[in-house]
Amino acid sequence: MTRSYRWNSRISNGHPMRILTSVAAALVVCSCLALCVAPTVAQTTAEWERLSAEKSLGNPKAPIKMIVYDDYECPVCGKLYEQTLRPLIDDYVASGKVYLVHRDFPLTIHLYSRQAARWVDAAARIGKFEAVERTLFDNQMAWSEYGTENPKGIIRPIVQAALTPAEFKRVERLMQGCESNSQNEIKGCAVDTGIQRDLAEGELLPVRGTPTILISAHGQQYPPMQGAISWPILRQFFDRLLSQE
Amino acid sequence: MTLSSRWSAGRLLLQLGRLALAVVFLAAAYGKLRPQNAVPWSLASLKITPTSLGLSMTFFAMQVDSYQLLPPRAVSPFAHALPWTELGLGVLLLAGFALRYVSLASTLLLALFYAVVIRSYALHLTINCGCFGPNEKLDAWTLVRDGFLFALGIAVTIAAFTIQRRRCHALSASSPPHPERAV
Repeated sequence: MTRSYRWNSRISNGHPMRILTSVAAALVVCSCLALCVAPTVAQTTAEWERLSAEKSLGNPKAPIKMIVYDDYECPVCGKLYEQTLRPLIDDYVASGKVYLVHRDFPLTIHLYSRQAARWVDAAARIGKFEAVERTLFDNQMAWSEYGTENPKGIIRPIVQAALTPAEFKRVERLMQGCESNSQNEIKGCAVDTGIQRDLAEGELLPVRGTPTILISAHGQQYPPMQGAISWPILRQFFDRLLSQE
Repeated sequence: MTLSSRWSAGRLLLQLGRLALAVVFLAAAYGKLRPQNAVPWSLASLKITPTSLGLSMTFFAMQVDSYQLLPPRAVSPFAHALPWTELGLGVLLLAGFALRYVSLASTLLLALFYAVVIRSYALHLTINCGCFGPNEKLDAWTLVRDGFLFALGIAVTIAAFTIQRRRCHALSASSPPHPERAV
């Protein structure tokens, strides 16, 4: 007689009350586990949402929401930032028409993109996201592996130049245990939790490359767009969306 | 196989190829003109209004722009013209009207698509194809598909011209000699 058959026969031969008691006990155990795990999940989600808000620009109640999945080392992301996102930030984000959300999607093929994302995320935690993001994209050629300047992968002085000494000290403290880590090693780096959550969210979409743009307006979400889109063309689409009101 | 049976087989293949190309062009036009936020082939996706059309066109312009091939000034007119061109070619292919010229125009358009897809793939552009609607990845499969469609376009064009020429030959052979030439 096999073990499973013996188990089945034991259940079927058992008293109905005994079976009910076992089921109730199992339910109680599951509920206790759920109650223990739920606050942790909720806490992580709340923390991620708070960080996500720090990595966003504009009015959260703006009629258009645009999420950009970026890799700081990807040249097309740099092009998108310089040629499209900057005029967008100065114009439509500043005037409250667009809420721009940044999500990290460091690709494993890039040597320093995760390290760059860590610096930006650490800066976001002290409310300095915009300044550090801007300086990393502005100086992409100085630190990225595709850059023309040497030494590559040295992000620290670039971030330092964009912040006050006090701000940089706070960011440095948050970056403890992160700088020595390799691209894909996430142990001991607290800043990585937000990046991992962004990655997980992106993979659900699914994000297949960077940059990926997700636009929603009036409760309607549009399919993800990939690649660099020039500002006049993006503005044309936004104007159409805004004229729908 | 006799000459006449080969001819009728060729005509059948021409008809099938023409219909296949018509379906491809109509599906491509639908993918670009339908409301982009609706589920493809759903009832909501068939509710094409002037407002949704304007949004679909500008959304498609972003996909055209992501190819980084045209200057922004040229992107919008191209994106506005392409879906209607595809729709027109699809309808004309379906009707079989002026088949030689319509199939030639279709093949030229397919050649353009194939060249653009090859270029983007060679440049490792991580973009959406935008061929049959949004969120369609441009990958090796796109190359194979567009290559096949281009080959089909060439076959249909050659068949359309060959059959028309044979028909003209047959007509001239069966018609009585010209009175002046007979004299």
